[in-house]
Amino acid sequence: MSVIKLTGGRVIDPANGINDQVRDIYVKDGRIVAALADGDKVSAEYNVSGRVVMSGAIDMHTHIGGGKVNIAREMLPEDHRGDPVARTEITRSSCGYCAPGTLAAGYRYAEMGYTSCFEPAIIPMNARQAHMEMGDTPIIDTGGYAMLGSDDFLLRMLVANEDQKSINDYVAWILHSTQTLGIKVVNPGGISAFKFNQRKLDLDEQNAYYGVTPRRIIQTLTRAVHELGVPHPLHVHASNLGVAGNVDTTLATMEAAEGRPIHMTHIQFHSYGTEGDRKFSSGAARIAEAINRHKNVSADVGQVLFGQTVTASGDNMSQYRNAAFASPKKSAVMDIEMEAGCGVVPFKYKDQNFVNALQWAIGLEIFLMVDDPWRIFLTTDHPNGAPFTTYPHLIKLLTDRSFRNAMLDTINPDAKAMSNLAALEREYSLYEIAIMTRAAPARILGLTDRGHLAPGAAADIVVYTENADRERMFEKPDLVFKDGELVVRDGKVVKVVRGNTHVVKPEFDRGIEKKIEPYFRRFHSVRMNNFKISDDELCECGGGSKLIPHACGKRS
Amino acid sequence: MTNEASSTVVTEVACPFCGLACDDLSVDTAGEALAVVGGGCAKAQAGFARLGVSHDGASARVGGQPASLEVACAEVARRVKASAQPVFAGMALDVSGMREVMELADAAGGVVDHLYSEIGWRSTRVVQDVGYVTTTLAEVKNRADLIVLVGTDVVSKASRFFERYVWNDEAMFEPAPAARRIVYLGGGLNTAAGQSPDGRAPEVFDFDRARMPEALSTLNALLAKQPVSEAAPLGIELARWQALADALRAAKYSVLVWIAGDFEPSQVDLNINAIMSAVRTLNVSTRSNGLGLGGADGELNASMVHAWQTGYPMRTSFASGIPLYDPVHNGTARLVEQGETDTVVWISALNDKTPPPPEAKVVIAPPTLKLEHEPEVFIPVSTPGVHHVGHFFRGDKGAALPLRALRATRLPSAAKVAAAITAQLKEVSA
Ligand code: SF4
Ligand SMILES: [Zn+2]
Ligand SMILES: [Zn+2]
Repeated sequence: MSVIKLTGGRVIDPANGINDQVRDIYVKDGRIVAALADGDKVSAEYNVSGRVVMSGAIDMHTHIGGGKVNIAREMLPEDHRGDPVARTEITRSSCGYCAPGTLAAGYRYAEMGYTSCFEPAIIPMNARQAHMEMGDTPIIDTGGYAMLGSDDFLLRMLVANEDQKSINDYVAWILHSTQTLGIKVVNPGGISAFKFNQRKLDLDEQNAYYGVTPRRIIQTLTRAVHELGVPHPLHVHASNLGVAGNVDTTLATMEAAEGRPIHMTHIQFHSYGTEGDRKFSSGAARIAEAINRHKNVSADVGQVLFGQTVTASGDNMSQYRNAAFASPKKSAVMDIEMEAGCGVVPFKYKDQNFVNALQWAIGLEIFLMVDDPWRIFLTTDHPNGAPFTTYPHLIKLLTDRSFRNAMLDTINPDAKAMSNLAALEREYSLYEIAIMTRAAPARILGLTDRGHLAPGAAADIVVYTENADRERMFEKPDLVFKDGELVVRDGKVVKVVRGNTHVVKPEFDRGIEKKIEPYFRRFHSVRMNNFKISDDELCECGGGSKLIPHACGKRS
Repeated sequence: MTNEASSTVVTEVACPFCGLACDDLSVDTAGEALAVVGGGCAKAQAGFARLGVSHDGASARVGGQPASLEVACAEVARRVKASAQPVFAGMALDVSGMREVMELADAAGGVVDHLYSEIGWRSTRVVQDVGYVTTTLAEVKNRADLIVLVGTDVVSKASRFFERYVWNDEAMFEPAPAARRIVYLGGGLNTAAGQSPDGRAPEVFDFDRARMPEALSTLNALLAKQPVSEAAPLGIELARWQALADALRAAKYSVLVWIAGDFEPSQVDLNINAIMSAVRTLNVSTRSNGLGLGGADGELNASMVHAWQTGYPMRTSFASGIPLYDPVHNGTARLVEQGETDTVVWISALNDKTPPPPEAKVVIAPPTLKLEHEPEVFIPVSTPGVHHVGHFFRGDKGAALPLRALRATRLPSAAKVAAAITAQLKEVSA
């Protein structure tokens, strides 16, 4: 039995309404406990008085595993050369900046105080690979969202006007079969449309073959996810990614949810107007206003930060278009298994480029104009806007207005003139940062034992020395505990542990397999039974990760 | 499937004997050796029969003498430890085997090199140079209307390609599979499988395949609407080339298939680049995709795991403590020739036919592997998908299949052996 005591820290735990209170925290066998029982002996005590204590950070949208990330790694040896991770007594060697190896990614996340990360774009057929990669990402917990919406099985169900219950059964079956925590839709129906040579698909435009619109897919899937009681709302990468004027599509997509919960991902890339000489402007005010008004809507930002990165998306329709802007000039685009696709395009965001500079400003505008930190999440859509290692810098931009304005003064002046960023006075507090990086992601994913520090919670705990320079503070925590084990000290990994895999297992009628099995035999490349990932197999893919199922409260 | 539950036949078995990873095999486990009784092909039958035995009596050897697994692993650890840069070659493994070898190679400061890396690194160079536009097998099965086989018949390496993905009973979209148009670029290929079920012969552009770069540049010129002055490029009249270019432009979902190992090694990246150029031109107005098939002997298990763990493709040296990628420098043959390695460890659990190079002092392989020389250490291992569960990446990168355990054996898996060596290595170091 191990008992740890963290003494005298300034605890910031928004899930429990605790804002900077001095408290002792006790950890017994990996869990937080209220107090010690008679006979408990403290095996390690850490005096953290004066220091800031939060739960481990959670990245709810980061591309850390799956086919497209691995394509990016193979594509970009030039990315990796400057960023090696040396082998030590306890850690393995790895490398990479914007497309790091899984080993480098796990160590770096932990060293920044992150203890859980979620891969948002798992192609069902490729779920094994995603779990294998996440299983080889050390220390952190992982999980993912399965991509639906361009899969021919669902589109055929919609054409056949199958009832919502059957669709719910299929969605639940996908969650079970792929061992995932949520459902994502990427350019709804658009990936399928691209295979029929359509090059754009608006919310109310029909897929050339199926006649199904993105709106119908959004309606059907938001409803399915809601009725199944999956905690995380449908995770939506909307139509018209990156296109000037897409703010209208994005607002209409929110409406298409008809009041049901919907999560709009990397919304910065979907918040563009067409004003100004260059027909490219910020739609942030309209987006923020809509989020503020619609309590059913949440969003993560997908902030752009300047420098070299690589964009990796399931949205092959958009990525094929974006390949024209690749830097360096190369790209990989794939159609995948009657389910989805992917596109990998390296990209360099330049602060003197008008569009890139305005993208940077738009992301920050959204952060600062959305009132409720429980519904806006801190992401760069790693690596699409920037690698996750830029998070401390992003936190500084949000918490320090003078720093932000100094940066604003250095970007493309036309972009600066098009942005209201200079007028935005808001500075995020540490409490709000803790909400958006801990409490809120745990809540929106249904991770009841993560993202907070009340008794019963998993002891994923981070201790920082407060520093007015928030970038310095957040890039190097003093201590990081994962499930009660000290894994990082002074920003360096001191112990490597294996994280858990988070999944949901909603109730459903297994009778749906009578429809799915023949479909696989007739049209797919594998048999249904070889598609499904069992619990035992998941643990093998994950290299021995523990499976943590989260409750679903069925709503129909 | 109804009464098979009680029989000795296991159904829906995935096959690890080529890159197609067909998963519709029925395997009878009753006999001494495994017997493929449904699905499969000659290679699968032979593979399951040869490897699907319990390997009773096989034992590790050190210096030609029987030794315990522990002693053998300790001896490998000692050799690897003493070497400045051991090379782990062969690598016909499942995912977990590769995972463990990666840990070993890192700890030992070595290099990992698959038996097909000499071709593989050239393929990878295409994605590093220009990238690609590709598709996967289920898409081909349902959408392809024109399939061009570039310098390959596919079936010589992956015999069930047409059976499973081209001449299907039905497809989700037009055209009906039997109406698909098949074109072979290059002579000397086995084109029998390209004949449609209703007897339509495939088109064959019969020329010396070593001249593939010329063929592809002719096609690219025509696709780009540039003039071609020759009346009969490669001895084939221009009108036929033009008709092919027109057919590709008119097709709704053409697929250009290649197998890198079927190209002249020096032309691999040149040819794939040229295919990608054609595909990119076509995608301006219609849909067209490449389909690179490979993946035999766990090639993709090795390349995928290597890339995701370290960031780099294979042929990366861990000797300095950080990964250094240099695919030209870090090939096994070159390292041996230049005296840059003194220890080649051959590890192969899926392939018991390819002989290890004579320099391999350590061989970790199925006991059915015929050895020309007795290595200094031999460790027999079981085979994934035959003796133990595992995972196998299909050659199109479209899926990773689960492999089954069908036959009991006392032999350890390659993963277990690699882990044991790593553990010994760390003890030697401590
Ligand atoms: S074609 Fe390949 S994968 Fe399919 S059964 Fe034959 S050897 Fe096995
Ligand atoms: Zn996305
Ligand atoms: Zn994303």
